[in-house]
Amino acid sequence: MTSLIQKALRIRELPIFLFLVLVALITGVANPAFFTVAGLQDVLLGVSIVAVLAIAQTLVIVMKHIDLSVGSTIGFTAYVMGAAGSWGHSVWWGLAVSLGIGIAVGAINGFLVAYMKLPSLVVTLATLYLVKGIFNEIAGGDTITGDRVPEAVNAIGANYFFGVPYIYIIVFVLMLVVGFIMKRMRAARDLYAIGSNLSASELAGIPVARRVFLAFVATGAITGLAGVLLLARYNTADANSGVGIELYAIAACVIGGVAIAGGIGTVYGAMIGAVLLQTITSALGALGIPQFWQLAVNGTLLIAAISLDRYLSSRVKPTSIMGSHE
Amino acid sequence: MQKKFTRIAVATAIVGALFATSVVAPASAATGIKTGLRIAVIPKQVNSGYFEAWNKGAQKACKELQAKCDFIGGTKATGAVQVQFINKAIQKKYDAIIVAAADQNAIVPSLKKAQKAGIIVITSDADVAAASASARTVTIAPSEASRIGTAEVDWAAEAAGKKGTVAILSAAATAANQKVWIVARGPYLTMTYPDMKWVGGSLDKAIFYGDDDTTKSTAQFNAILSQYPDVAAIIAPTTVGVLAAAAEKKKKNLSVKVTGLRLPSQMAPYIEDGTVEKVGLWNPIDLGYVAVYAAGHAKAKTFTGKTGSSFKAGTKTYKVVAGGIAYLGDPFTFTKSNIATFEKVY
Amino acid sequence: MRKFNFAWEHGVAVFLVVAIALGSGLSEFFATTDNLSFIIQDVAEIAIIALAMTYLIIAGEIDLSVASTLNLSSAAVGFSFRNGMPFEMAILVGLLVGLACGLLNGYLVTVVGLPSLAVTIGTLALFRGFAWVLLGNEPVNELPENWIVLGYENIPNTFLPWSTIPVVILALLAWVILHYTRIGRWTYAIGINAEAAKFSGIPVARMKLALFGVTGLMSGVAGVVYTLRFASASPDGAVGYELDVIAAVLFGGVAIAGGLGTLWGVLAAVLSLGVIRSAMQLLDFTGNALLIVSGALLLISVVLPRAIELVKDRRKSVTV
Repeated sequence: MTSLIQKALRIRELPIFLFLVLVALITGVANPAFFTVAGLQDVLLGVSIVAVLAIAQTLVIVMKHIDLSVGSTIGFTAYVMGAAGSWGHSVWWGLAVSLGIGIAVGAINGFLVAYMKLPSLVVTLATLYLVKGIFNEIAGGDTITGDRVPEAVNAIGANYFFGVPYIYIIVFVLMLVVGFIMKRMRAARDLYAIGSNLSASELAGIPVARRVFLAFVATGAITGLAGVLLLARYNTADANSGVGIELYAIAACVIGGVAIAGGIGTVYGAMIGAVLLQTITSALGALGIPQFWQLAVNGTLLIAAISLDRYLSSRVKPTSIMGSHE
Repeated sequence: MQKKFTRIAVATAIVGALFATSVVAPASAATGIKTGLRIAVIPKQVNSGYFEAWNKGAQKACKELQAKCDFIGGTKATGAVQVQFINKAIQKKYDAIIVAAADQNAIVPSLKKAQKAGIIVITSDADVAAASASARTVTIAPSEASRIGTAEVDWAAEAAGKKGTVAILSAAATAANQKVWIVARGPYLTMTYPDMKWVGGSLDKAIFYGDDDTTKSTAQFNAILSQYPDVAAIIAPTTVGVLAAAAEKKKKNLSVKVTGLRLPSQMAPYIEDGTVEKVGLWNPIDLGYVAVYAAGHAKAKTFTGKTGSSFKAGTKTYKVVAGGIAYLGDPFTFTKSNIATFEKVY
Repeated sequence: MRKFNFAWEHGVAVFLVVAIALGSGLSEFFATTDNLSFIIQDVAEIAIIALAMTYLIIAGEIDLSVASTLNLSSAAVGFSFRNGMPFEMAILVGLLVGLACGLLNGYLVTVVGLPSLAVTIGTLALFRGFAWVLLGNEPVNELPENWIVLGYENIPNTFLPWSTIPVVILALLAWVILHYTRIGRWTYAIGINAEAAKFSGIPVARMKLALFGVTGLMSGVAGVVYTLRFASASPDGAVGYELDVIAAVLFGGVAIAGGLGTLWGVLAAVLSLGVIRSAMQLLDFTGNALLIVSGALLLISVVLPRAIELVKDRRKSVTV
């Protein structure tokens, strides 16, 4: 019995999960409306976008890389999805183009990082600017309003399955799929090895360049499709969509135990991190904390969460929620 | 014989000179404004449907005045970015600058610099801080700020059946026009509609800042509902905010009434399907149009911008009131009955 | 005959010259003293912060909170002045706030052991949040006239803005320290291999703490310059500046992995970006075009050296 508890305590994602529960409880006590179905649905809806980007970001962060371009990509594809109708194309066209844009950006990032061996921070910062510039040129001052959103997208955004928003279900399923792949598929497990020890990985015969490239492409593809979710969630898109969201995705990952140093962390942690971020935001609103204090409180909690995670994980040998990934 | 010749020569010369001056610097007979003026039209940011409409008006006026109007600006609505474009206008020696202030304080030093260089400065849509009113000749404002604020309260009250609590989903906390509208609304609500109150009991508690950002506005909309679940109406005097509120209301099938300010073309679907009963806006096209005329008249020195002075733009005359402000008139309200016409205009 | 090693910094210097030449050639308004004055004012804050960021990145760390620190310092100046402090004192308060922010970052990185990228995302929010707490929604806009003049006027009888003075002094200091003193050598050593540096007696943790502190202080200086330039202190100023600073430092040839880079490369890069932006605006390019150019330049700055390297390697292996 004790060994089970010991095993549970070693799960890397545990401290942050407990922190999440704590924050939720405090908020629920202070404002019972938080714990209503509507309140929880709100959290799930709000989480979805950051969560899907955090899941995608996990793929590159475990390799000790980063992808800053996601903010521009997701905004771009959200807009394309919405504008498809006015340009005379079908939903499927919109979907295909969104996916295509995501893959293209991911491929550019991947090629430069994996084959040209350039630092991902620089490359993705550059593509962040480039994609935003191209996106803004195409979108101009146009705003996608509810009537231009394709029916199917609308349906995803507005409906619930047994009370859980469809958007969240999609993201949750994605998390399960990616999590499974990362644990089971040899090719995906290699990503952790690459992040832990690059030279050892090369010596061990791992096709590093190919793995890194495909990881970026996968991140790009997920981000491209995530644009559809963004449009579904807010029923609007314009040149400012997605701006700045990359930092939230990265923060969610870090909080969730996906170490910037690479080699460790899972998409489950990323999801918990995203939920925690959203819970803090909703909590601040529900607790009636004066608006001008909210950002400061947000920042403090973020740092506290990162510190806590770091403190606790340095005391025990870290394993992750699905077994050791050392 | 020689004398006659000289007289004809002189006469011809005089006529020729008159002709030449009228060709060299023709003044539009109606307005007295020189043609060929170069005007810089600087919005808060480009990539905005609202400011594209604003520019439409400016360009229309420029065409009438045969002036050259350049729509220049950055992609971020901050003072720091706008200053770069104001500086550029100074360097390129434009005759006048029309600017919608992205930051009521940050651009003041550059505007003063422009004035020193002889450039006419007009603000339109968003003004600089009252303390710095001397940095511009006049500001073209939509309606009396208090009128906008109180009009919105009227729309909200009507929609909510004149009963219940009201909250405000605002833009950036630092936005000058938002602050003025808020001040106007406070007492007006309780005085005019005795059965209505601000949520939380006071105006301060009823204000939520959405920062003109879709994600934040949506989050704040939900925060309002989570803190005050039985709020009757939400006023969102920001184009981004009211859109976010309407979208969220529709998605969750809520009964809270939503109203605010928005371009009719972009609000149309929500009015047509009944999500929102009434929104309003002044016409940004007019804001741009009138501003150009103000600039032209100021350049021609027929308009000083002092309180009590006036100028003509198109067919209407505009008078300057205390504070150096020229108002356009009351805001328009858009309802199901007239939205179809207006959404084609702007 | 000594081979001239073509380093990236030389490329940036050439780029700067070419950009100036193009700008002057294509636009009559470019090569004016007025324009030069505007450009310097434009890049002053970024240049000041970039000086410190260079050290930090060479040492293998990063600080994403610099823009928030700049803004908080500005808010602190405004807040202090509004509450009756003489303006000179208020400026001092602003600088101290900047230093404190930097030291907090340094503490979290060196003592608590958090990765700088993650931590500074947190402090980015925290510092900006404090600016809101200080000022609420009332920006401070009544600053003493004689100080504001320093913000946007030129030094009498020259075309140089007053802000040139702190930039030049700090740049000279930074340059000398980085390239000619022990502290500079330590910075490189830490960036190349922190473990080895520690073993060779370099006080790594203390150095990093100091570097973060200085970065905060420089952000504070930039905050004061910013306040004077815009004659106001507002809670939402300088949003996104951190990316501009980092882009400039990277474009200047400082390797993100640490251990490599020169200060004059960074200065050339900061100036180049200012020159390009000015030229593009004068030539009526849209804001979007500027975004695309910035992204492209950044990419080129890393792709080009790598491509040259690859070609050289290929050639070497062939001639064997």
